[in-house]
Amino acid sequence: MTALTIAIPSKGRLKEACNAWFAEAGLTMEQTAGARGYRASFAGLGDVEIMLLSAGEIAASLLAGDVHLGITGEDLLREAAPELAGRIHLLCPMGFGFADVVVAVSQYWIDVSTMVDLDDVCAAYALAHGRRLRVATKYAQLTRGFFAHAGISDYRIVPSGGATEGAPAAGTAEVIVDITTTGATLRDNGLKILDDGVILKSQAQLAASLTADWNAGARAACKVLLARLTAKAGVLYPGLDGQLLK
Amino acid sequence: MVAFPYYEPSDIEALNAQAVILLKLFAGRGYRREEPSVMQPAEIFLDRSGEEIRRRTFTLTDLSGHELCLRPDLTIPICKHAVDAKVPFPARLCYNGLAFRQQPSRPNRPTQFFQAGAELLGLDDSAAGEREILSLSFDALRAAGVENFEILFGDLALFGALVDALQIPAHWRARLKRHFWRAGYVETLLQRLGRTAQAVPSRAEIETRIDASKEAPSAGRSRAEIVARAMGQAEEAAALRLNPAVVGVITKLFGISGPATEAVAEIRALLKAAGIKLDAPMQAMDARLKAIADLGVDLGRVRFTAHFGRNMEYYTGFVFEVWAEAADGSIQIAGGGRYDTLLETLGAGKSVSAIGCAIRTERLLTVKNGKGAR
Repeated sequence: MTALTIAIPSKGRLKEACNAWFAEAGLTMEQTAGARGYRASFAGLGDVEIMLLSAGEIAASLLAGDVHLGITGEDLLREAAPELAGRIHLLCPMGFGFADVVVAVSQYWIDVSTMVDLDDVCAAYALAHGRRLRVATKYAQLTRGFFAHAGISDYRIVPSGGATEGAPAAGTAEVIVDITTTGATLRDNGLKILDDGVILKSQAQLAASLTADWNAGARAACKVLLARLTAKAGVLYPGLDGQLLK
Repeated sequence: MVAFPYYEPSDIEALNAQAVILLKLFAGRGYRREEPSVMQPAEIFLDRSGEEIRRRTFTLTDLSGHELCLRPDLTIPICKHAVDAKVPFPARLCYNGLAFRQQPSRPNRPTQFFQAGAELLGLDDSAAGEREILSLSFDALRAAGVENFEILFGDLALFGALVDALQIPAHWRARLKRHFWRAGYVETLLQRLGRTAQAVPSRAEIETRIDASKEAPSAGRSRAEIVARAMGQAEEAAALRLNPAVVGVITKLFGISGPATEAVAEIRALLKAAGIKLDAPMQAMDARLKAIADLGVDLGRVRFTAHFGRNMEYYTGFVFEVWAEAADGSIQIAGGGRYDTLLETLGAGKSVSAIGCAIRTERLLTVKNGKGAR
């Protein structure tokens, strides 16, 4: 019976980066036999079970308290729960998986470079066209919070399944909120990031669920695991000591 | 309070008895009872109320893919019906029913609550409309057994008139009015007035810039629309340096808050010092205070806050809230205001004078029974 569950991305660059990060800390992952690649463990740490999930599922599992620890993008965590306080504690930025969540508009809109400009255009657009300007995004929560902070209310969110950057050209939305690393994809689609349009500078985070079952066994296993990681990362985890391991 | 209220027989009986009293009073003043459907097409709310109300509106999709919602208030469906049915004006309409709001940041607040309210549509004498709705609100609260209450009010029209009287570009007028209720944000906007003073590009320069980007998607806006706004920005940048006093007048107005009589005197002094004449809104302010006093409310219990504007985007002028003491603190038991543009946006074809009020009947019972609210 394992005491502590940690969720790690099951595919892609995040998975490889995680594996490399753990390897540097001297932790090797071993597939659990018969688990079809969904479960694994660290050699020599029998109390810790690794669950391999998609990055989005990791955010949901941390929120639900189904796993104790998890590594996933901060953008996904903040989108899943705008209020992290009391639900998820960010322990350590991982130094990979960098991505900015940004507000982008067409380069054709030469009169728009700030959120104040966008606010003007939203209001004028609603008057001129009789409907609200549409914002395509996978980040509805982050968008609402950021737009509310900027005082913009004359807009509608259009949920986007993928290829958000194509929405203005396709005519399904006028503005987008999306992630970008270099901005190249946005530029290729004729879009530009607003000067004050960076909603979140995100990277992968090691996060703890505050709603998981932190029984004595889980806390003990967590201490052992974090001691190994601390040696690697060179940082302490005051959050865990203070909130979980007392 | 809990997120999902459960009404015991005694709660329902008390609420029903109270509703009978309120509706009888409304009927006695000529208000006709309306009962819109709990479920509504989502667009009429989402297109009128903005993203903040959208965020708090419960939405669902029917089998054909139409977006529906649980009504977040009754004012909009009642006004929509009045427009569609071409109800003759002035129309006096009232209701008692449930409204539904998500409470994302306050999980212990109820997601459904009863409201009893009245709407007065198409009465052109706005002072008379205000008096009528205030009288109706106060008398309804008293009929329900709550005599002690305080009033907080504001006036979006006053701010609008002040902004119209200032020598600033039209863009900035629209922008300041739109953000009336966000005092801190408006001050940030005002600070930018000084910063945007830069070299002014010519129309030819603007046209060259946009044509260099013609490969990019137009995203719903025409070349003419963008060039016109860019020209406006340029003119703005040129004009803004002229008015350093503007920031001071608006900032001082936002600072005015307190007992009604003193606050109105302060506004007068501010306007006089700035050499601005706002006769119509100031006369409306005097008439309002007299009406409130005539209705038997001690003006010592009436407070004015200049930047008070309610976070419901359809209000356009006078707005008010009525507060009373519950066992664990003061709670808002009623509110309302003027919304002169709503009916036009719902298809009335012209602007229609409109003012209304809504009473939170469960909170009214809480106050009457001397219980805590939360």
